[in-house]
Parts: sequence; structure tokens; C-alpha cells
Amino acid sequence: MGLADAALSTAFAEGDEAAVRAVYRQFAGLVMAVAQRVLGDKGLAEEAVQQTFLQAWRNASTFEPGREFAPWLVTIARRVAIDIQRRESRRAATALDDADPTDAALVTLPPSAEQAWEAGQVRLAIDALPPDEREVVRLQHLSGCTHQQIADQLGVALGTVKSRSFRAHKTLASRLAHLREVPT
Amino acid sequence: MASDELTPDDSDLLEEFAALLADPSLWAEPGPEVEDAVVSAISAERATMQRSPSATVARPRRWWTIAAATAVGAAAAAAITIVVTRDTPAKVDQTVAMAGTDLAPGVTGEARLTAVSSGVKIQLTLPGLPRRDGGEFYQVWLKNCDGTQLVPAGSFHELDDAIAWAGVSPVDFPLLTVTKEAVAAPKDPAQGSSGEVVAKGAIGPCP
Repeated sequence: MGLADAALSTAFAEGDEAAVRAVYRQFAGLVMAVAQRVLGDKGLAEEAVQQTFLQAWRNASTFEPGREFAPWLVTIARRVAIDIQRRESRRAATALDDADPTDAALVTLPPSAEQAWEAGQVRLAIDALPPDEREVVRLQHLSGCTHQQIADQLGVALGTVKSRSFRAHKTLASRLAHLREVPT
Repeated sequence: MASDELTPDDSDLLEEFAALLADPSLWAEPGPEVEDAVVSAISAERATMQRSPSATVARPRRWWTIAAATAVGAAAAAAITIVVTRDTPAKVDQTVAMAGTDLAPGVTGEARLTAVSSGVKIQLTLPGLPRRDGGEFYQVWLKNCDGTQLVPAGSFHELDDAIAWAGVSPVDFPLLTVTKEAVAAPKDPAQGSSGEVVAKGAIGPCP
């Protein structure tokens, strides 16, 4: 999953279109998830995605070969999204003057670097699933569907859904094990 | 234990991420147009760097390199002229055609943009608009593509030969507009744009 392919990394740094598209397709979901968590708005998050890849390309020559690309992109994405959030906050300054200071929306903080990284890891794990397993996980967690509802929606047998769900969650647990909280 | 059941450790681990997995932001996908926008932005900036020998060592990061490159890509579709000064390859001026709206039919002119460290200098030559005095004036704005954000760039009696300034990137705010305004109290909603646009121009493309 990591951008271990040095040739691809070099081609990306050179601005080769095929390499840019390959890197984008591999990590766009990750970057979008981080940006969306900070901004909560699809249009702004898409702006952050675009800026993140542009900044990554500008700085690609400083990227050390062999390093994981994803953490680097998450760091850029979070910073870009926070910058956009600050810009938007300034735009809304007049309205905020009249807002209730106890409004929870006024004290919402962006996710920490650790939280952004954790969300990014979960998104990477999801994106690495086969499409049929990913869809089962999405329907189960995001839409709150039961296995039977998923089977009905996808037009497959209940046993198939259970199998896909088991395999997917087993894979997710394996890929996220390194994030397990260590008791203190 | 049945073969299709997770171990307690796995279940506990996934429980820690249950809230994340149910968060719509985690599943968010950028629109299909974003990929092309990323490729275009990188290609355009790369092309600009290749035209600018001084930029081969340290990549330029100023807004105008993006603006110029983006504009080059859209030159066929937009009435935008990019002028690269031969003596100083790093300097880019951009001339934007301005046109009157229904509130100022027949008015035409141009805005010449120059990036300096303090912001964007906008030299307006827009003759034909009647002078406004006595608490009434023209306001120059930069606007984002969907029209949800406005940045004021100065107020004027007339715009035959005026210089406006903006502290934002025309890449993010590619629409240049001029409105008719009147003096208003600090918190008066009229402090915002009246919406009476008398002239406008496009610095860069909008989707």
C-alpha cells in the first residue's frame, strides 16, 4: 500500500501525469477523510485535497525514498485543512460577533495530529479491502444495516454477507492492531 | 469458537474504532473532477517552472505561479492575457478584460494584476462609469467561484484610473467585480456587497 515504488515516487516528483494520477487514486480517499474531518464540508474538503496534492508535489523532492507516503500526506492534509478552516472562520467573523458564545460550534477544535493519523489509518485499511467487503463494512457501520438488510440490498445470500463481513473485519483488525491503545 | 466469529481481542479492537467507522467523514470521497484539477494544477505549475530558468533550483511557491499556469491552461477559453516580462522571468502580470453589466451597459476596460509581497495590486482602467460622491462609491471585490465569499479590494469615486489591493490569492478568488455601494454603519448589513454589480471580469477559470 505504501508508496514503496521509488520509480513512482520519482515520477510523481517529476510531475509525470500517470504517476500523479496513480498517487492520487491511491491516497485521495485518505486525504479526503482527513480534510473532511477537519472541515465538515465537502466543497472545502475537496479544495483541501487539491491543495494537499499540489503541496505534496512541490515538496516531493525533499521526500526521503523508502519512507511511507501516507503519514506525510496526512500531515500536509491536516495542515492545509486547518488553514482553510481558519480562512473560513475569518470570513464568518461578522456573523460570529452576533453568535451565542456558548454555541458548541464555536469551540469545535480540529482533530489533533494523532486523531488525524488514526482516522487516516482506518481509511487506508478500509480502502485496502476488496470492493465487495468494503461495501458490506460501509453498509454495516455507516448505514447501520443488519446483515439481512445488507443481503437484501446487495441481492446476495445472508451467508455471503456474513462471510464478507467476517473477512473484512478480520482484515481490519489485523491492519489496525498497531493502533491498539496500550494500557497505562 | 466458530470459524466466522472474531476473537475477543479483534472485537475489542474494532469497538475502539466503531465511532470512526460510523463517521461519514471517514467514507468521504472527492468528486470525480478533483483528480483532473490536481493533474491540471501540477502540470500547469510544472510548465511555468520549465519556462522560468530562475525557478529550476528552488520551486516557486507564490500564488502567481499557480495563477499564471492555471490561466495558461485556460487561455483558449477565457479572455485572459498573460504577459511574462522577458527581463525578469519570475515576474508575471495579468491583464483581465472587464465588462459592464446591465447596470452599466457598454462599459469596457481592463484590470492589470501584479503580485507583490503585500498583496495583489489591481490597476483598474474602467472609464465610462459616472462619478459617485456624497456617501456613494464604487467597491471592488474579489469573489470565489460559487459566490459565497467576497473580499473587498477598495472603494472609489470613479474607476477611470484606480488602484485596488487585495490580500488573497486570485487562484481562490478568481472573479473580479465592481459594485455600487453607499456608506453604512459598522454592523449594518449594507456593509456587505449591495449586489449591484456594474462591471466584472474573470481572472481565472471557474468549474
